[in-house]
Amino acid sequence: MGTLLTRAAVAAALVTLAGAALAQEASDRNRFELEIDASYVAADSPFNSWTERGLGKLRYSESNDGLKSTRLLALYRGRIAETLSATVIADYQDDASSGVDVTEAYMDWRPIPKSANQQQVRFGAFYPPFSLENAELGWQSPFTYSYSAVNTWLGEEIRPIGIEWSLHRHLGFAGSPHELRVFASAFYGNDPAGTLLFWRGWSLHDRQTRLDDKLPMPPHPIWDYTGAVVGYYDQTVEPVAETDHEPGAYAGLEWRYARRVLVQLARYENRADPYSFSGGQWGWDTEFTHLGVQVSLPGQLGLVAQWLEGKTYWVQGAGANGTLTPFASLVGDAFSGKFLLLTRLVNGSHRVSLRYDAFDMHREQGQPAIESDHGDAWTLAYRYEHSAHWSGGVEWLRIASSREPWEYYYAAPEDAVETSVRLVVSYRVGTAPR
Amino acid sequence: MAPAELRSSKSRSAVSILALLIGAPAAAGVLRVNVVDEHGQPIEHVAVYAVPSKPVAVAAGAANASMDQAHSAFVPHVLIVQTGTSVLFPNNDVVSHHVYSFSDAKTFELGLYKGNAHPPVLFDRPGLVVLGCNIHDGMLGYILVVDTPHFAETDAQGALSLAGLHADAYQVHVWTPRLRPNDMPAVKEIVIAADGAQSLTFKLEGKLLPDRDRDLRTSSTLPWERY
Repeated sequence: MGTLLTRAAVAAALVTLAGAALAQEASDRNRFELEIDASYVAADSPFNSWTERGLGKLRYSESNDGLKSTRLLALYRGRIAETLSATVIADYQDDASSGVDVTEAYMDWRPIPKSANQQQVRFGAFYPPFSLENAELGWQSPFTYSYSAVNTWLGEEIRPIGIEWSLHRHLGFAGSPHELRVFASAFYGNDPAGTLLFWRGWSLHDRQTRLDDKLPMPPHPIWDYTGAVVGYYDQTVEPVAETDHEPGAYAGLEWRYARRVLVQLARYENRADPYSFSGGQWGWDTEFTHLGVQVSLPGQLGLVAQWLEGKTYWVQGAGANGTLTPFASLVGDAFSGKFLLLTRLVNGSHRVSLRYDAFDMHREQGQPAIESDHGDAWTLAYRYEHSAHWSGGVEWLRIASSREPWEYYYAAPEDAVETSVRLVVSYRVGTAPR
Repeated sequence: MAPAELRSSKSRSAVSILALLIGAPAAAGVLRVNVVDEHGQPIEHVAVYAVPSKPVAVAAGAANASMDQAHSAFVPHVLIVQTGTSVLFPNNDVVSHHVYSFSDAKTFELGLYKGNAHPPVLFDRPGLVVLGCNIHDGMLGYILVVDTPHFAETDAQGALSLAGLHADAYQVHVWTPRLRPNDMPAVKEIVIAADGAQSLTFKLEGKLLPDRDRDLRTSSTLPWERY
């Protein structure tokens, strides 16, 4: 059903596109872009990458680093009517779950305001507007190449298929520097969200999940009645899937003062039934509160911070085939992630960004009382926009973490420091290069 | 009409054109205005206009103006025009804009376009027209429609002068987007004699709001408009 939904969404998007293309007489209403990111990555980690079913947090580890095509992105935004636009973002990936697939496909309806209230209705498959890093079309970040732990997870496991309504207005009088935006969404799908976060832990990278992706995870242990691990089975997660046919929801509000301060507070609940199972996926009842802050500082400095805290309830001991083992029990894991990023833009084309991440996940309900992930990360990146077509940069990333189950599940060390250095060259071509 | 013929009005006084067209009267007064904040510091880009007691019709040569769009901003940020002026809205960006206003002084909408796709819009009622773009929430511009040809914006020294004023009684108004509507200074009344010169100082009380026009040029470090 989940797959069916995602396919329906993709099909609807493609039909929309075809219709839009036929209806266009003015080509300037269509925006089409292609971007190729080529990276040279040198990684240092005791583990293989999670993208290869390893225990590592990095997208690239020593087993698969070197010259990589980190993203081959195609984006389209077309105006179907004065107030209606369609957006489709697709990419090619050669790791984790390979091939060409769609990350976002949605339509926006923005009626002409008749008062101070500007409204928008978005429907399709899209990101909630939580990330303050991933501000560019294609959910790309202008700051670092690897997203923060919080936004990496949003990019991996949070992708509603549904409808979002939002309202924007200046407070007090037309043109007031105080602006308010409220948004609310009801959606299907996204029921397994939380699975990857528990089984692998937090991560920092730029691989966004596509609608039909089946992401690898560390293998699921098989325990005997004494609690000893007697084997493993491979497991994958399809974060977009629908397992219980019940809608989820998110809502939030954002206040900004001119182009100086922005504060967003939001709540997300996928409202999945943790006992629901469909298409090989269990529901994980995941909810979180999100706070985002962005501040312009003197001297072309900018500050971005996000804080996310939530819980996921799931059935420990649930079988891969949808059956419950005799010792299956509902457990609850609390998770939190936060980061602080400082960025400076020099001469409009050179950007230096420094970010500190901290993250945690621990058992709050049920046994064993494990801290499945705890750690922090530093990221330093320099990026240079050479022209409308060419850009490049370098990034250093260091993640230090402790994962208590690693010893118990995999007889592997709990503590790890993983680092990577990445050199990137990007080529972009399109009808409206930025 | 060619863009070169369009009056940008921001820096230029309509009065000189008017004077040329009708033949400068032998005797004309001057009004010099200074605008300062509550600490006495000069304030730039404040609109000042002097409304005569005897109405002056818009001169044919001054009846056109232009509000451009560049880098997803309205240029100028504030355009002052005399009632009866037609304004063109050329979009010089690579992206399309969808300009609209729901202000009482003028409600209009220019459907998605680039370049000079739409005919000029006639502003035939005095008042403040707040402009927006339905594609880009951050775009905000103002057209101040006034019942006089005598208007200008303060320079970096917070000063301006309105020349070519006929002998008459005038109401002098001040407007800036950097003050809340209720904080705008009270109108001052003056009488200009033939060949007379007058000076006025307006002190802006109340907290000055951020200079959005300047913010636009300096706040590029962070993305304020998410896709």
